[in-house]
Amino acid sequence: MGLSTRRSAATARGGSLTRRILLRGAFAMGMIAGTAGALAPILGKRAAEAPGTADGPAAAGTAKAPGTEPERYAERFAETYRGRHIQGTARGTRPARAAAARRVAAGDAMTVTAVRDVEVRIDGRPLHVMRRADGSYLSLVNHYESFPTLLDAARAAVDELGGAQLSTSPLHRL
Amino acid sequence: MVYIRKNQRDLTRTEKKRFVSAILELKRSGRYDEFVTLHGQYYVTDDEEGPRASHMTPSFFPWHRRFVLEFERALRAVDPGVTVPYWDWTKDNSPASSLWAEDFLGGTGRAGDGKVMTGPFAHANGNWNIRARVGDGSFLTRNLGRPSDPVSLPTRREVAKALSDPLYDAAPWNSTVAKGFRNTMEGWGRGGTVRTFHHNRVHRWVGGVMLGATSPNDPVFWLHHAFMDLLWDRWKKAHPRSGYLPRRKLPASDPQHGRVFSLHEPMPPWNVTPAQVLDHSRVYRYA
Repeated sequence: MGLSTRRSAATARGGSLTRRILLRGAFAMGMIAGTAGALAPILGKRAAEAPGTADGPAAAGTAKAPGTEPERYAERFAETYRGRHIQGTARGTRPARAAAARRVAAGDAMTVTAVRDVEVRIDGRPLHVMRRADGSYLSLVNHYESFPTLLDAARAAVDELGGAQLSTSPLHRL
Repeated sequence: MVYIRKNQRDLTRTEKKRFVSAILELKRSGRYDEFVTLHGQYYVTDDEEGPRASHMTPSFFPWHRRFVLEFERALRAVDPGVTVPYWDWTKDNSPASSLWAEDFLGGTGRAGDGKVMTGPFAHANGNWNIRARVGDGSFLTRNLGRPSDPVSLPTRREVAKALSDPLYDAAPWNSTVAKGFRNTMEGWGRGGTVRTFHHNRVHRWVGGVMLGATSPNDPVFWLHHAFMDLLWDRWKKAHPRSGYLPRRKLPASDPQHGRVFSLHEPMPPWNVTPAQVLDHSRVYRYA
C-alpha cells in the first residue's frame, strides 16, 4: 500500500482535519491581510481599560466589549522578549495553571474546559498554538514540549527560533 | 524476504552512503516532503475533537511503525539494499557520536540561526531545501544538547524503568496518563513542570526542526523512530501476556470514543489496524 496523497489523507481524517486546514488557512489569510491589524486593537483596548494587565504573564481578567457580555480572558500579554515582540490572547474561563491544579485534584479523567480561542504572534506573525488535555500549550515551533501558560509557550518559541522569523506560509505546506 | 534494520553505529561506510543517497533521491523527487507534510497533518493534540492517530494516543507506536515502514518502502524503491537504521540514544548520547559525522547526518547547527553546516544535508550542498517549515529559513537546523541550557538524552536506566511496566496504556488514553508504557515512553510530563521525557526528550535534545511540527525534515527522525519501534518490540518481549490497549472499541459513553484507535480499528491514512502491525517479523527484523 502506498502512502496516501495529502488529499486522500484529508478525506480519511474527516471533519477534524478539514477544520484544521480551515483554521490554518484563516491564520495565513490574516497574515496576508496585514498581521498586526487583527490583534492590535483588541490588545490596545485591553491595555487602556485595565492598565498593568497587558504586560503581565497569565493576566487573567474580564473586559467588556461594547454591547456584549463581559468576556473572560484566560490569559493575555504583550511584551518584548529577547528583542522580539510577542503578544497573545486566550479567551476562555480558566487559566492553564488553575486548570492543571484542578485536574490533579479531580483525578485523571478530568478534562479541562476549552479555551475557545487562542492567538499568539511573534513580531506580528501568527504562531500556531495547540493545547493539551491538561490545559498546557504547545506550539508549531515546539511540538514535543508543553508549557503551563501561553506566555511560556511564546517565549520558548522565541528561544527556539533564534533570529529567525516565523514562516509566512507554513500552514499551506502542512 | 525479511530484511534487517541495523544499529546506525554498525553501518559500513558504503551502507551510510547508500542510505544518504536514497534519502536525497526521495527529496529530489518531492516524495520526502510528502512524509514531512503527513506527519504535520496528523499531529492532533488531545485537547482537540476528533480522531487522534499519531500522538498523545495509544496508537502512537503502531502509527509510527507504519509511518517508518512506508518511508522505508519508498527508500527501498530507490535502492533495494537500503533499510532504516536505528539510533540507540542511550548509548550514542553525545554530539561526538559518529551519527553526527560529516559522512552521515552532519553535525549540530551554528550559533545564532542553528544552521547545519556539515554533512550531506547542509544547505550549501544544494540538496536539502526545507519546504514545509515553521521558521522562514529553508535550511536544516539543529541545536544538539542545547548547550545554553543543557538537556541530556534519556539513560538506559530510565528506559529500562519504562520497559518494566506491564501495562501498555490506560484511560483516559491521552497525554495525561500517569502510568503505562506508551505515555511514559512518548514522554509527556504532567502539569507542565518537568516537560519532556524519553521520546519527546530526544526531539528536544536534537532541537531545531526536530522540535517542531515538521520534525521529519531532519533525517534523524527516522533513526529515532526506528529505535522507538525496537523499544516497543522489547516491551512486548518483556511482557508476553500484555498487549495493545484498548482491546475493544471504547463505548459511546467514553470521552475518548471516536478519538482513539483500539486494537481492530483502522488508522488513517493507511486504514491499517494496530493489530495488523503488531508482528513485523516477516518484513524486517532488528540486528
